[in-house]
Amino acid sequence: MGRFLLRRLVTSVVVLAGLAVVTFLMTQVLPGDPARAAAGRNATAEQVAEVRVRLGLDQSLPDQFTGYLGRLLHGDLGTSVFTQRPVLDDVAAMLPASVELVLAAMAINIAVAVPLGVYAAYRRGRAADVAARLITLLGAAVPVFWLGLMLQLVFAAQLRLLPLTGQLAFGQEVPKITGMISLDALLSGNWAAFGDALLHLVLPAVTLAAAFVAVVARTVRSSVITTLDSDYITLARSTGASELRVVVRHGLRNALVPASTILGMQLGWMLGSTVLVEAIFGRTGIGAYAVTAVLQNDLYAVIGTVLVIGVVFVVMNVLVDLVQLWLNPRLRQAGSRERRPEIAVRA
Amino acid sequence: MTSALLSVRDLRASYPGPAGPVQVVHGVDLDLARGEKLALVGESGSGKSVTARAILRLDTDATLSGRVELDGADLLTLPPRRMRAVRGARIGLVFQDPLAALNPVMTIGWQITQPLVIRGVPKKAARRRGVELLARLGVRDAERRFDDYPHQFSGGMRQRVVIAIAVIADPDLLIADEPTTSLDVRVQARVLELLHELTDERDMAVLLITHDLGIVAGFADRAVVMRHGRAVETGPVDDIYRSPRHEYTRALLAAVPRIGGDHTRPLVTIKEGGQ
Amino acid sequence: MTRRIMAVDRIALAVAALMVALAVVGPLLAPHDPYAVDLADALQGPSAAHWFGTDVNGRDVLSRILYGAQVTLPATVIVIAAATLIGTLVGTVAALGGKALDEVLMRITDIGLSLPSIILALGLAAALGSGLRSAVVALALTWWPGYARLVRTLVREVKDAEYVDAARTLGVSRARLVFRHILPNALNSLYVQTTLDVSAVMLVISGLSFVGVGAQVPSAEWGAMIAAAANNLTNGWWAVAFPGLAIMLTAVAFNLVGDWLRVRNDPTIREGVR
Repeated sequence: MGRFLLRRLVTSVVVLAGLAVVTFLMTQVLPGDPARAAAGRNATAEQVAEVRVRLGLDQSLPDQFTGYLGRLLHGDLGTSVFTQRPVLDDVAAMLPASVELVLAAMAINIAVAVPLGVYAAYRRGRAADVAARLITLLGAAVPVFWLGLMLQLVFAAQLRLLPLTGQLAFGQEVPKITGMISLDALLSGNWAAFGDALLHLVLPAVTLAAAFVAVVARTVRSSVITTLDSDYITLARSTGASELRVVVRHGLRNALVPASTILGMQLGWMLGSTVLVEAIFGRTGIGAYAVTAVLQNDLYAVIGTVLVIGVVFVVMNVLVDLVQLWLNPRLRQAGSRERRPEIAVRA
Repeated sequence: MTSALLSVRDLRASYPGPAGPVQVVHGVDLDLARGEKLALVGESGSGKSVTARAILRLDTDATLSGRVELDGADLLTLPPRRMRAVRGARIGLVFQDPLAALNPVMTIGWQITQPLVIRGVPKKAARRRGVELLARLGVRDAERRFDDYPHQFSGGMRQRVVIAIAVIADPDLLIADEPTTSLDVRVQARVLELLHELTDERDMAVLLITHDLGIVAGFADRAVVMRHGRAVETGPVDDIYRSPRHEYTRALLAAVPRIGGDHTRPLVTIKEGGQ
Repeated sequence: MTRRIMAVDRIALAVAALMVALAVVGPLLAPHDPYAVDLADALQGPSAAHWFGTDVNGRDVLSRILYGAQVTLPATVIVIAAATLIGTLVGTVAALGGKALDEVLMRITDIGLSLPSIILALGLAAALGSGLRSAVVALALTWWPGYARLVRTLVREVKDAEYVDAARTLGVSRARLVFRHILPNALNSLYVQTTLDVSAVMLVISGLSFVGVGAQVPSAEWGAMIAAAANNLTNGWWAVAFPGLAIMLTAVAFNLVGDWLRVRNDPTIREGVR
């Protein structure tokens, strides 16, 4: 168990170090003068010179990297030339709205994909299975941003069932506690605002979830099929257990091992996909921030979001490992050589 | 055979195949008295395992016909709820491959006590009985090992766990489907012996399914030889050994290596087409 | 059942082929000039003259979609080709180059695999400056690690095969061993993954263009078209809907073809789980 975790932690540290190198290189490949880029388009020559010294751009490359790493470790992600604020502060202000969106999308993802996968496995080869395959096929092929616009068109503009954009209706007030509006509304007991915030979450969350449902449903389907065909399920049946008990108590945990890996990774990918969703729905999250930053040539803001999402991703991976340890006792054995299955699915 | 515990008449089983249903069992008759040990012998593909699973109606995609009477009640027409009451409690099943048959993510204790727990036995009592049974089956340190997972056991020990699951609810009949085939030769005899002792103690009838006539002699009272989904010969084990009537039985016997056996006898070729 | 799925595969193959054909001859079929601005004819709904309507600048949406295939599909192909090339190189070297090199290269691929590619591509595209070319370069640079890992596995499987041993004992040179004996056999199933990746790469490219990092505004790239039309969603939905449907149809077709290739390539999954 210790060895498994240690191995994963070492990998995480390597990945984080690599992330630092990659983002450092991003600051270097920029055509033109990085000091000018960091200072902003309208900076004066003195400002550019000042930035050059502050960022150590007059030093050798290895020294620059050491300086960069040192600033990262102190939480200094640079200053946004667009907002004129430290990138870390910006990102910290934006992250809660994105986390709220990702959690809502994940809830929808699980609620749709797991039953869909289980049902398709049960009705293997029959009409329901074909229908599920069709849904997963479309889900894997739909452009996220386009789906968001279409949902807006139908449910907000035409049917007027849900708000078009924003996070909270005009006139609603919620104190800032966690930064997640729905949660803050709940914590402050403002039920009207809570309901309103949830309504604002529906369309973006459905949009974000759509692409991920396909992968999960597919995984759940195949792992449920494998599980239901196994001898230990027949054995459970042979002891007189009810069908529901056979599936839920004897089968589900095994069937969820592959799905849990993918769901964990998807949290990170979803955070990445907020780039395509948040701007459409006028949500002030990290994805919308990254897009604005790119379009404003605000390099350090872009790199800051890349770093933060990377760190979240690495943390998610460690959490996935912990869930795996809980679900799969074989991993807990000392010196186990078994590794997490490699996942080749990307979003 | 006056008080038949299990009586199988004209059992047929077929499975869906790519070109329509495929019949695997073509009308098998079996009788098993209370406490009796019967061996069902045949090569792989002879339909013996399917027969065993058909008795418990374990294969959901199989189409079954005929009669399978347990104490006079036909299992094939039993509603699912009452069938579940038979499984585990009246008829236990020992699987061939203990590694595949045990759930990798549950402790063996949890798995052993399931047949009791689902019937309302309190967890503590179920655990006590499980530990006792495991110890009786020769698992050392049973109390502590109760919370271990299947991968922490050796093949022979796993098979004892599978046996424990099958017998813990004290069924009247134990079906053992090739219980020693996947085991190391050294532990095969020991597991068989344990099975024999345990079922004697508890007065359980046993239906032993095997391809190996060699292990039948010391274990079963009577044997049924199956081939191509049909029973080709039935009788007391001694009679079958001494004077096999069917050609196929003679071939099976010839394949059993016996110390002091006649090595000069030529191998028998069997004509296709059953009886 | 099986027959019905076969029919689906045939249709998918046909649609995928059609899309590729459109990418080649699309401009010949386009009824209008895709860049001809006609403000008097702006935001007209679908009609006989403009099957898919016109956009805010009065340009024919159908013609733009037909031209757009020439932007999106080649860009996708370039990304996948470049990623496959880098991945094959890294994967082969990792598999054959000894333990230390393997460890280093695999940790590098770990880094690439441990970030959402859209985020990494966004960052790289930002560093390289906006434009379709940056988007393509950025995506190729983020997409190869998956192939590196796959190729490494495939090469390791093949390199110890008997026929490779036989060639080795015959004194075949190392280069010849790699290029004539190992790689051809290791890579003959790689096309399955590349086909399955077409839709994913296409979606990311159009996504990057949609947010403004990829193809720039007058371009008929499908994602950029949607971005340009999004402001007139309610009074010109067709300019958003049809380019998206084009993306989706192409992606579905390539996914089906990929699935079909995968099944054809691996008889064990033909009847089974996936």
